[in-house]
Amino acid sequence: MDVLLRAENLTKRYGSVTALDHVTFEIGATVTGLLGANGAGKSTAIKLFLGLTRPTSGRAEVLGREAGRDEQVRARLGYMPEHDCLPSAVSAAEFLTHMAETSGLPPRHARVRAADTLRHVGLFEERYRAIGGYSTGMKQRVKLAQALVHDPVLVLLDEPTAGLDPPGREEMLALIRRTHREFGISLVMSSHLMGDVERTCERILVLENGRVVEEGETSTFTEASETLYIEVTAHRPELIAALAERDVTATEDGGSLVVDDVSGEDYDRIRDALVAAGAPLRRLAPRRRTLSELFQPGGADGKDTA
Amino acid sequence: MLAVYKDGLRTAMGLGRGGKAKILPWLFIAASIIPALVFALVAGAVDRLAADFSEELDLPSHADYYSIAGVVLFLFAAAVGPELFCPDRSSGTISLYLVRPLRTTDYAIARWAALATVMVLIAWLPQLVLLAGLVFGATDPGSYLANHWSDIPRFLISGVVIAIYVSTIASLAAAFAKRRAYAAVFLVGLLILSTSVISGVADTLRDGAGRWVALLSVGDVPLYVNDVIFGEQTSSIEAASDLSDIVRVAWFVVVVAAAGTIFLGRYRRLSL
Repeated sequence: MDVLLRAENLTKRYGSVTALDHVTFEIGATVTGLLGANGAGKSTAIKLFLGLTRPTSGRAEVLGREAGRDEQVRARLGYMPEHDCLPSAVSAAEFLTHMAETSGLPPRHARVRAADTLRHVGLFEERYRAIGGYSTGMKQRVKLAQALVHDPVLVLLDEPTAGLDPPGREEMLALIRRTHREFGISLVMSSHLMGDVERTCERILVLENGRVVEEGETSTFTEASETLYIEVTAHRPELIAALAERDVTATEDGGSLVVDDVSGEDYDRIRDALVAAGAPLRRLAPRRRTLSELFQPGGADGKDTA
Repeated sequence: MLAVYKDGLRTAMGLGRGGKAKILPWLFIAASIIPALVFALVAGAVDRLAADFSEELDLPSHADYYSIAGVVLFLFAAAVGPELFCPDRSSGTISLYLVRPLRTTDYAIARWAALATVMVLIAWLPQLVLLAGLVFGATDPGSYLANHWSDIPRFLISGVVIAIYVSTIASLAAAFAKRRAYAAVFLVGLLILSTSVISGVADTLRDGAGRWVALLSVGDVPLYVNDVIFGEQTSSIEAASDLSDIVRVAWFVVVVAAAGTIFLGRYRRLSL
């Protein structure tokens, strides 16, 4: 894995508040989600990697260089802040052209890139309107566009779906996935919304109170917790007993039986139990558990990280 | 850095912005040119219609112009300077600059340079209008130019001095103000208060103390240098006439250097 971001024993304190507490992790060339509740340290981590703030101790590396030290590294980064950052009086085309020029693109090239990027985010027709008249969703897309306009290697998105309604969220998440797929740009996306991270990111890093509590591939989290739903038309108690005899724990969930953390061998045991109990099978359906089920109280791990 | 400078020029002049953003800069440009136009027309008319009186009349000259238009230049800087700095901080746009290949001080210098450039142009433009009026209004433009050519480099240099001064003071106020209105009100208040209070105090003090007090008049600091450049007293504070040329220039340099250092220091320490 190409390492784009590396945190080594990274700590950031604001007075008596510890935002990040000796965290060590690496982020590669993919779409990575920084998942955590408000105050977990996601935005602080992003700001440290961008060099917007200095670490109290430890080291933050971006593209192999210490964060904030090398201006040429910054030319290869994009940043979409959570907070408002757009001037209201200028048009999106003018603003993006200016941002591209600030990143070092020649004026003519900057104008072309600005138009292309606004087309990518779906604002091409609206590009000459003053940003102040845009809706929240359109402003979020301009924020994403300014992060992409100079063709960066890596883009850091701080809560990109903040303030968006459900359709707006879906559009933004689709845009993020498309940005990675079409342009090959790696993205790091912070969010407290597990659904957003699960649908968009290939890797996940879970922060809680300034510490990394989980990290890995999104599929690993969900595969490890595959749940099986069994629905029978009769002999349900007998089936539960037959499953128990075969060391398979089933719980009742409405009209179904639920078997958590199913492995390959469990399917054979369930088949045998169904035969032994004489239970007519109506439905047998595997379902991956969502991240919210994993990390919320009562989930598989019983963790409350977000 | 060039991109930030260019954007600063466009912001200062309201270019690429809506109509409202253009009103203020162009109003000030008109306000600074109109007196020059009137002076030029009056000078030309007097020279042609009553040539005998022209020598006796104390017609406004290039030296006088900055002492008259200095207030307009200061007000222009007070209105436009904060526009270049405050919205970027209040709207959070500054964070987008800081993640690009640009240091905070580069950003600050580029914005300051944009303001100073606009101020230089606004300082020079009326002087050029006045020059054109005086030259073409004279009965013999050739001899007028031959006799007064040295005014041209003088008003050009003096214009740069005033532009640097007002840009630096306005940038300093804008660097600390949360909103542009606060910075503008502070600058205008500073100008009115310091000019009225200091000129009153300086001219009543005796034993030479008044000249040192005169140095504290915020609006007059560049005019003292203007007087050195033109070799005549144009500042309204009488006590300042006792100041030596070296003190006038050194005080200007000290004020600009101190304000510039604090201004850059503010941006150097800027973190988000």
